[in-house]
Amino acid sequence: MNAVEVRGLTKVFHDEARGEIRAVDGVDFHCRPGEIFGLLGANGAGKTTTLRMLATILTPTAGEATVMGHDLLRQPEAVRRCLGFYSASTALYPRLTARETLAFFARINGLDSQLVKARVEELVARFGLADYADARVEKLSQGMKQKVSIARTVAHDPPVLVFDEPTVGLDVLNALEMQRTIAEFRAEGKAIIFSTHIMSEAERLCDRIAVIHRGRILACDNLAGLRQLTGQHYLEDIFVALVGG
Amino acid sequence: MRLDSSTVATLLATELKLLLRDRRTVVVSIVLPLLVMPILLFAGRTLEERRARRLETTRFTYTVTGSQAERARQLLEAAASSAGAPTLLLEERDAPDPEQALADKSLDLWVQALTCEELPPPAAPARTAGEGEGREEERPVPGVPVIQLVFRGDRDRSGEAATRVGEALRRVREVERATLLAEAGLPLPAGEVVQVEERDVASAAQVTGLKLGRLLTVFFLLFVLSGGAVVATDTLAGEKERGTLETLLTTSAGRREIIVAKLLAILAVAVAITLIQALNFLAYVVLRLIPLPADFALELSPGVAAAVLAMLLPVAALVSCLLLLTSGRAHSYKEAQLYFFPVFLLTLLPALAAFLPGLALRSPIALVPVAGVAVGVKEILTAAPDTPMLLLTWLVNAAAALGLALAAERTLSAERLIAPAAASELGLKGDELFQRHALRAFALLWALLLVISVNFEGKLDVRTQTAINLLGVFLGGTLVLVHRYRLDPRRALALRPVGWPVWLAVAVGAPAGLITGMGVFQLASRVVPVPPEVVESFSRGLLSAELPLWQALIFLAILPAVCEELAFRGLLLYGLHRRLRPLALVLLVGLVFGVFHVSLFRIAPTAYLGMLLTAVTLLTGSVYPAMAWHGINNALVLVAAHGEAPLDEVPPLLHAAAAVALATAGYILWRVRTPYAGLRRRQ
Repeated sequence: MNAVEVRGLTKVFHDEARGEIRAVDGVDFHCRPGEIFGLLGANGAGKTTTLRMLATILTPTAGEATVMGHDLLRQPEAVRRCLGFYSASTALYPRLTARETLAFFARINGLDSQLVKARVEELVARFGLADYADARVEKLSQGMKQKVSIARTVAHDPPVLVFDEPTVGLDVLNALEMQRTIAEFRAEGKAIIFSTHIMSEAERLCDRIAVIHRGRILACDNLAGLRQLTGQHYLEDIFVALVGG
Repeated sequence: MRLDSSTVATLLATELKLLLRDRRTVVVSIVLPLLVMPILLFAGRTLEERRARRLETTRFTYTVTGSQAERARQLLEAAASSAGAPTLLLEERDAPDPEQALADKSLDLWVQALTCEELPPPAAPARTAGEGEGREEERPVPGVPVIQLVFRGDRDRSGEAATRVGEALRRVREVERATLLAEAGLPLPAGEVVQVEERDVASAAQVTGLKLGRLLTVFFLLFVLSGGAVVATDTLAGEKERGTLETLLTTSAGRREIIVAKLLAILAVAVAITLIQALNFLAYVVLRLIPLPADFALELSPGVAAAVLAMLLPVAALVSCLLLLTSGRAHSYKEAQLYFFPVFLLTLLPALAAFLPGLALRSPIALVPVAGVAVGVKEILTAAPDTPMLLLTWLVNAAAALGLALAAERTLSAERLIAPAAASELGLKGDELFQRHALRAFALLWALLLVISVNFEGKLDVRTQTAINLLGVFLGGTLVLVHRYRLDPRRALALRPVGWPVWLAVAVGAPAGLITGMGVFQLASRVVPVPPEVVESFSRGLLSAELPLWQALIFLAILPAVCEELAFRGLLLYGLHRRLRPLALVLLVGLVFGVFHVSLFRIAPTAYLGMLLTAVTLLTGSVYPAMAWHGINNALVLVAAHGEAPLDEVPPLLHAAAAVALATAGYILWRVRTPYAGLRRRQ
């Protein structure tokens, strides 16, 4: 069974000055457990809007989607319970400690209150947060904040994870650490949707890649399939061949 | 939708934890008010005591001049030594040039004693030393010496000398007057010729209740606003700015639960601050930092206290919801702070209803949020509660709070607000940018108009004032904005010809609109009673003798029709037409038009006219019919005023006929409609 199913998802923004903007235009894809599905596109291609719709932050104008069988429009809370959402713009509460942050997100996502403490300690141990678990987030370094942020994404152990350009603004070491962590989640059987505009990242991590441009998916396959489709070897060339740049 | 109480509890606990860990909030909302008030009160009291002590020991220097100098010296001596009066220490000095001596501070007071005939003719009215409210102006009487106290108002000591010597001289005069009357055969002191007594049949507690009742809602709102504003700004706008709102929205907590938790946090802080301030106030009273008036006799039974609290609770909820909504509508912390001044005004102004004399809760005021509660609280404290009306106003406020809470919930779904990146102004063309800035630009014009109105109203004649407002602010402002944003004047100002049936509709609709507008005015004046003198003063403006009818028509009918229509139905409507649907456009442009007419009592009828004119422009796609309608409307008012026709006494039958005529005009315009270009479509 697919963990995520997206069919004809469309988002039209009404901008007061520019009128209608079709940010996402009839997108279809799916993602299986234990798979990293990549959304590859330039800035403004519609990646973030698609993922925000999947996380129920934005309401689709048309189309439908399910997450672990829950309908996006009819069961938004159930969808969010099955989903961990990480992006460069999802910040942490600066005045909570790392431990309080994890406990809060575990509890708010419906984890049984008796299990919260054990889950927090498990995450503290897994992400190596023990030394600064009781320090306020505002006092932590960028790398530490990143670890706390990933830990809060999986605080309720969701089966589906969404990473929206997770390495934006990170240095090389932290970006590699992030890629390793995402690969570990795949090994644990989680369905992962990963958006990026960095070709090497998509090439290294993703099992299947959808190239998105101006709100439309131009091609969706594994790397071998995309090579066959475009006759290009490197993902960068594949991307250029598809978007016609 | 079911509310998950455990999620709300988790969110609320975290909200409060975050707030208490925010030093800014704690210091600004709790510590500062707690410290500043006692320090101010203590400092004020100490300064007052020091001043009183200093006055007891200050020796004021003076000189006496004039033909009646000896008489003045006698009086001053009597004044300084009169028994039972406050100590007054005086020292006479020689001063060849008293004015110079006052300037170089070697003298505090110059006493000029003259006869009535020697008195120079009065120039501009000067302040008399010790001038008090309600004292009659004294006129010189032949044969009676005039003592002028000359002082320097820019020196405290000189001013104090004049005040204290003036008061002492008046006391001496009272005594001398009584003596003279006694010598002339009238043994009674002058003040006892007729005895006037007042007897208040209300209990002291009721009188105190009236005084407190007028103020209580205002003070309560101040505390709720001061405490709640900081929290509300941080809780939604602050979260948006920090990026934590998006994180929160990706959790399984529902938006309703998030809003309820945030609302409870604001309410908790607001109520806590109110309680702390109430206890603070009691502590001042106990410590005698605040002396209570001698007639202060508050009887606050537990039942009355509970009733007052029950009435104030929905107001606290309403204000909290409004603050939350404001914060939710803002993209950033800074933007939220900008909105709070209008929120303060919007909330506090209705609370002043308790000060309006003769306004009872058994009136339409019960339906006005906040204002009804203010009047209701006053009635409870004066032991005259009207239970059914109290219940009604409670429900009105609770419903208003609920409506605002739901609106606040919707802000969490407003994508433009959640994803501010979509609202970027980069790369926008002039007219796109103007559509974002239209309301801001008109807020600036309004502020400009207010400044002009406050500073020049009554000082300039009607022609100059009108020319400044219409040609300077409205037409000038419109042209500057068209130029600044490089707008196409034809499109931006809706300069487009229309067919003849439109003019027929205008000819029928304009008089009908005026008459129905008077009905709106009468309805509005039931909610906010208009003092007759205000209406009279407005009418005087229209009927000014300096302004013949033909000039009045130019300045008060034609110019407003052209300039105001270009600004409101032209530029403002263009700025908003893609943001709002037609009905919302009609309401908003009409309301802004009403608010620009500054006087409170004119807002409702002018907003109504503005709505009609906006509807006409939307139906015709042109500003010209609105100009004609506006001009006819104003011209009819002027002609009626000059002919002394009482527009405010229109019989109900004429109202009904006007309504039919208005509907007919609307029907014609609908049938021949050429709608405004680029209106927002229903999705």
